[in-house]
Amino acid sequence: MSEFSPNIVAFLCNWCSYAGADLTGTTRTHYPPTVKVIRVMCTGRVNPLFVAQLFRRGADGVLISGCHPGECHYMKGNFLARRRFLVMKNLLEFIGIDPGRIRMSWVSASEGKKFADVITEVTDAIKKLGPLQSFKETFDGHPKT
Amino acid sequence: MDIQKLKDEAKRALGRKDVEYLIGYQKGSYGFRVSPLFTSKKEDTDNLTFSPLCALSLVNYLTIEGKPPSGTEDNKSKAKKIALFIRGCDSRALNQLFAESGLSRDRLYLIGIPCSGVIDLRKLEARFPNIADPVEVQEENNHYIITLNGERHTVPVEELKADTCRVCRHPTPLTCDKLIGEKIAGAAPNYEDIQALQEKTPQEKWEFWQNQFSRCIRCYACRNACPLCYCDGCILDKLKPQWIKRSVDTLENFMFHITRAFHLAGRCISCGECERVCPVDIPLMKLNRKMERDMMDLFNFEAGMDPELKPLLNTFSIEDPDDFIL
Repeated sequence: MSEFSPNIVAFLCNWCSYAGADLTGTTRTHYPPTVKVIRVMCTGRVNPLFVAQLFRRGADGVLISGCHPGECHYMKGNFLARRRFLVMKNLLEFIGIDPGRIRMSWVSASEGKKFADVITEVTDAIKKLGPLQSFKETFDGHPKT
Repeated sequence: MDIQKLKDEAKRALGRKDVEYLIGYQKGSYGFRVSPLFTSKKEDTDNLTFSPLCALSLVNYLTIEGKPPSGTEDNKSKAKKIALFIRGCDSRALNQLFAESGLSRDRLYLIGIPCSGVIDLRKLEARFPNIADPVEVQEENNHYIITLNGERHTVPVEELKADTCRVCRHPTPLTCDKLIGEKIAGAAPNYEDIQALQEKTPQEKWEFWQNQFSRCIRCYACRNACPLCYCDGCILDKLKPQWIKRSVDTLENFMFHITRAFHLAGRCISCGECERVCPVDIPLMKLNRKMERDMMDLFNFEAGMDPELKPLLNTFSIEDPDDFIL
């Protein structure tokens, strides 16, 4: 059997992290092909319920990445996101989903190298945790065995 | 507490020119049940009562009447007040509603009752099953006095008190126009049960909740009974996008309860209504109390304490914890 390749969904903010990911590509820095990127205008736009929905729809991990504190294009979106995702992470942890599956990072437009490092670290961590089977949607609505 | 004082105050409230009607408690039609009393007539106040059986939160009727925020405009034109009996938890629910601009303080005349805790009806009915006639229950010296067919039964408070009232921190209403009776001190924060569950492995926690949520029949009683679930377009009713499927299966129930708990994070005032009305005994307060504890530990925030304070998740502090961020 081939090695487990995690399915990670990354929400990247348009102004910092998405540009940072772009820089990673243009500088030809390698990172694991495990992320599916969703570009959002701001991390503050990401509804924390998306995280639960994504686990339901087959993600093994979720990454939310935005501008460093104080550098948000909309002044406070990343501060709001920080508070909300901390709450959501704690709630899901209490329900029985490993908190290591919900990650958050600050990556600016100039940090192409950091973006590659973040993806590598998150991928390695989720590889260790293994696939998230318990919450995954199947046709009969029950977890795969 | 003196019931006569309560009746007098209700009568006085109804005598005010600016009060339209009153919502209070009256004896139910059978057994240990208590029902709400809606009246604008002074003579009806003789039926009013308050006892440890009054578990129902009357705040909910305010939001049912004119579901804010959309309902508030209509109600403003009436400009008359509603008089309402409130306990400590109800006053916090109201504070939270005021903070969210869900309801206007000007529309209410609040009669505060310090509440020493209510009886868990399940425990009471297990002890005295199949009671048809209305029963009187009084609290005296840490005992409930239950008069059944002319016979007096004495039961220690600890045996029947609702779990959520055991850990109630604010039994005395924080805000009211008139307080009836003596103030009661609250309990110290105690989250031992939450801590015990939290220390389990993710696998064990998942199995615990799987066991609980598999029973859920999605009657939405927890949502409907919650004084703070008042959104007009509830996410659960939406079809586009459909966040949660209508079908009842364990995993969709997980989604439902995650959504519910998250929407109450930083808003839940721990009245325990959701758990009380749950027909299949899901320990919903465990989720709510976990959130409540997190809000205290992480943001030093307690819901419903200040009607001026903005909702927690709509605000931020530069000093919020960020050790989980890469």
